[in-house]
Amino acid sequence: MDLKVMWATMKKEFQIRLRAYPIDFMVGCILTSFYTTLGAYLMYHYFFRQNLASDFADLTGTSDYMSYAIVGSLLYLFVVRTCLNVSRRLITELREGTLESLMLAPFKRTSYFVGNMLLQTVMTFLETAIATVIGLFFGLRIHDFCLWKFVIATILSLYGFFGLSLILGCVMIYARDTYISQNTLFAAIFLVCGITFPKEYLPYSLQFLGNIIPVTDGLTLMRAAILGGMPSDRFCIIALRFFVLGSVYVISGLPLMKRLEIIALEKMEG
Amino acid sequence: MIEIKNLQKVYDVKRRQSFFHMTREKVVAVKDISMRIDKGQIVGLLGINGAGKTTTIKMLTTLIEPTNGTYSFDGIDAIANPDLVKRQINMIAGGERMIYWRLTAYENLWYYGQLYGIDNTLLKKRIEKLLQIVGLEDKADLPVETYSKGMKQRLQIARGLINDPKYIFLDEPTIGLDAVVTQDLHKEIRSLAKDQGKGILLTSHYLSEVEELCDYIYLVNKGELVIEGTKKELTDYVFARNRYVFSVRGMDKKIVCRLRDNLRMIDPESEVLFEDGSCTIISKAELSSAIAEFALKEKLVINELHKQEPSLEQAVIKLSKNLERKDTQIA
Amino acid sequence: MKYFIKVVLAESYKQHRNYFNNKMIYVSLFLWPLLSFLASYYSYKAFDLEESAISYINSGNILVFLLIGYMAMSFFRSVVQSAWRFSSERQSGTLEYIYLSPASRLAVLMGNALSSVFESSVVMLVFGILMIFYNRESLHANVVGLVVVMPIYVIMALLWGVFINACFLYSRDTDFLFTILEEPMEIFSGVKVPVMIFPGWAKLLSCIFPLTYALEALRQVTLNNSDLGTIKITVLISILIIVVLLAATLITIHIVEKHVRKTGNIILF
Repeated sequence: MDLKVMWATMKKEFQIRLRAYPIDFMVGCILTSFYTTLGAYLMYHYFFRQNLASDFADLTGTSDYMSYAIVGSLLYLFVVRTCLNVSRRLITELREGTLESLMLAPFKRTSYFVGNMLLQTVMTFLETAIATVIGLFFGLRIHDFCLWKFVIATILSLYGFFGLSLILGCVMIYARDTYISQNTLFAAIFLVCGITFPKEYLPYSLQFLGNIIPVTDGLTLMRAAILGGMPSDRFCIIALRFFVLGSVYVISGLPLMKRLEIIALEKMEG
Repeated sequence: MIEIKNLQKVYDVKRRQSFFHMTREKVVAVKDISMRIDKGQIVGLLGINGAGKTTTIKMLTTLIEPTNGTYSFDGIDAIANPDLVKRQINMIAGGERMIYWRLTAYENLWYYGQLYGIDNTLLKKRIEKLLQIVGLEDKADLPVETYSKGMKQRLQIARGLINDPKYIFLDEPTIGLDAVVTQDLHKEIRSLAKDQGKGILLTSHYLSEVEELCDYIYLVNKGELVIEGTKKELTDYVFARNRYVFSVRGMDKKIVCRLRDNLRMIDPESEVLFEDGSCTIISKAELSSAIAEFALKEKLVINELHKQEPSLEQAVIKLSKNLERKDTQIA
Repeated sequence: MKYFIKVVLAESYKQHRNYFNNKMIYVSLFLWPLLSFLASYYSYKAFDLEESAISYINSGNILVFLLIGYMAMSFFRSVVQSAWRFSSERQSGTLEYIYLSPASRLAVLMGNALSSVFESSVVMLVFGILMIFYNRESLHANVVGLVVVMPIYVIMALLWGVFINACFLYSRDTDFLFTILEEPMEIFSGVKVPVMIFPGWAKLLSCIFPLTYALEALRQVTLNNSDLGTIKITVLISILIIVVLLAATLITIHIVEKHVRKTGNIILF
């Protein structure tokens, strides 16, 4: 890892943000989180008058539906924001015409992407904080906070999301599209990763899809850290599984990205 | 006949000073323009950027309403009856935009034909004929995105003729095209006016194009007419004045003075301007040999001596700087 | 009138050729609503469906209840996307040529809405109808009611499309409209949760979306065997909305035409 490159990337990105913060993106994401929460609120309190299905508590380890759904929507916000930023990085450089000059420099891509990711994480924490405050109004309660679990869940989630962003970035560069690929992925994540309901309700094939997207386990860990209801040994097993899955994404994503950069540059000529 | 008199357009521009504070400003895009276009005639409208050309064309096409002035279109008051005018005019703009790239040439023409409410049998015949005229009949069923620049431009022309307009406004129709395609287009444009009797207004940045095509030329700058006249009249005034750039080793004011005296003997109205160590000489007469002889006689070492072709920009800038409109009206 | 229809048809054909020749467009028009529909459907499973606050909704017909919601919404939502594409004609310069022609502006907007409303929703519609047919035993439909409600609903969706088209065409800030029209419409017009059981403030918000009334009427006649007498207020409001939408569009077109001729600028809002 080249810290110089990472630092320079962060600084450059920070300067860009400082001058033109994509405020509409931010507001849009917070609003999405707000609407998701509001939808869950209306369903829980008004449509079904707080009557949960009998298996809900068994599957999730909690009987607090609102907290369950709000933590889901917050993490969803986090995924969307990081993926949007990191995945779109290279294609943005391609569109703005800076990709060529960037490729000329002999630097490590990993540092470049990690730099982007870290800056985005700091920014997203801020937005998530705002969304969390909104969540508190809708009944988000921290039942059984466990610090070490929270730290592990956070670090592993960032790792997993980073891997996911790389793969999504590859798809974007290959398809030369951001709109369709990103929104399809986000809609799929919302369905299969257990954002507002336990994924066990899904048919088996969709559950499988959920298991191989590195968001589902991260969400399970995060809920366990905040809402409790999961023994430590089970937590560790899921954490390990999540780490392996994230590694698969990162390890395959980086070389693939390098390969696609070359293709992208070739396509630029044609 | 199209005739506009003292047309003026003032835009009311709002400028936001702060969130609560907004100021209004009047921007004069066209100060005072009068012109006329007869059937069968190609009229040129020249100007530098921001001269008011686009606004003038938009007023002529009834897309915008003039603030002041009159516009008579074959005897109709065009300002009061834009819909009547719209049926009888069309516009052809340069560049590759303004057509649907995913549609075929035929589909593009068909769509625009529907917008003009043309009867389908007639439209079909007309499209076929137009495609033949612009030489796209073989490619009629291919999407426009597969076309070359020149083909797209030719389709623009067919599109502009879809309602068989009496008057056509050509807004820089050859921008970005190569010489061969440009020549073909020129032929087309000339035939529209001469063979089919359409009135054409042409704007262009290319002086040669205007020179080649236009029967009558208007030159605008800062929203005002600077000069107007037939090709002959204008060439006499602007284009026929020769410009020479001349510099020698150790050039100074004394040399320039002697040169000026020398040249005034041949053309008393010639001008010699000295700037940055070289002179610009402007004259109606052919002076290259006289300048060379002068250098020889004075035993000067020539660094540079060549004749400059006048560009449109130079002509416009010079004219707008030096001349009041009333004094320069030749016609 | 013949000229008007000519322009409507030409415009919808053009939109069809210009935007729907790309297969990827169906991903956004079908896959996203489908994923969103499934997510909503499975999120219901977290609840005890027999205990819902609406008497006629139960575990047997909740799928159809939701499907009708998403099908109806796909009509109303597709116009937003298509209007957004239409407004790009401002940049590509083709809008100027449309304005150069004497064609009726309403006809152009209507042609565009016609193409988008039907074309964008056709896949979702077919999917929905198949699913409903498969679950037909959960229907409890009033045929007369359905026959009356359907055309009202289609006209409303179409005019909503025309109106949104007009807004997008003449507005600078289209993102703002997106923010209003996408997610809030899904929540407040009762696609997932019926408006009836909303708290007062949410009910108030739901009033502004025409989809609210369309949806209510559609569900009443298909799931609750409601006759016209029961839903007459909803139907009357729907007809009123149709009139208001048409008037608003005509006024907008008229103002814009005047504005354009004065300022040379097509952006009004």
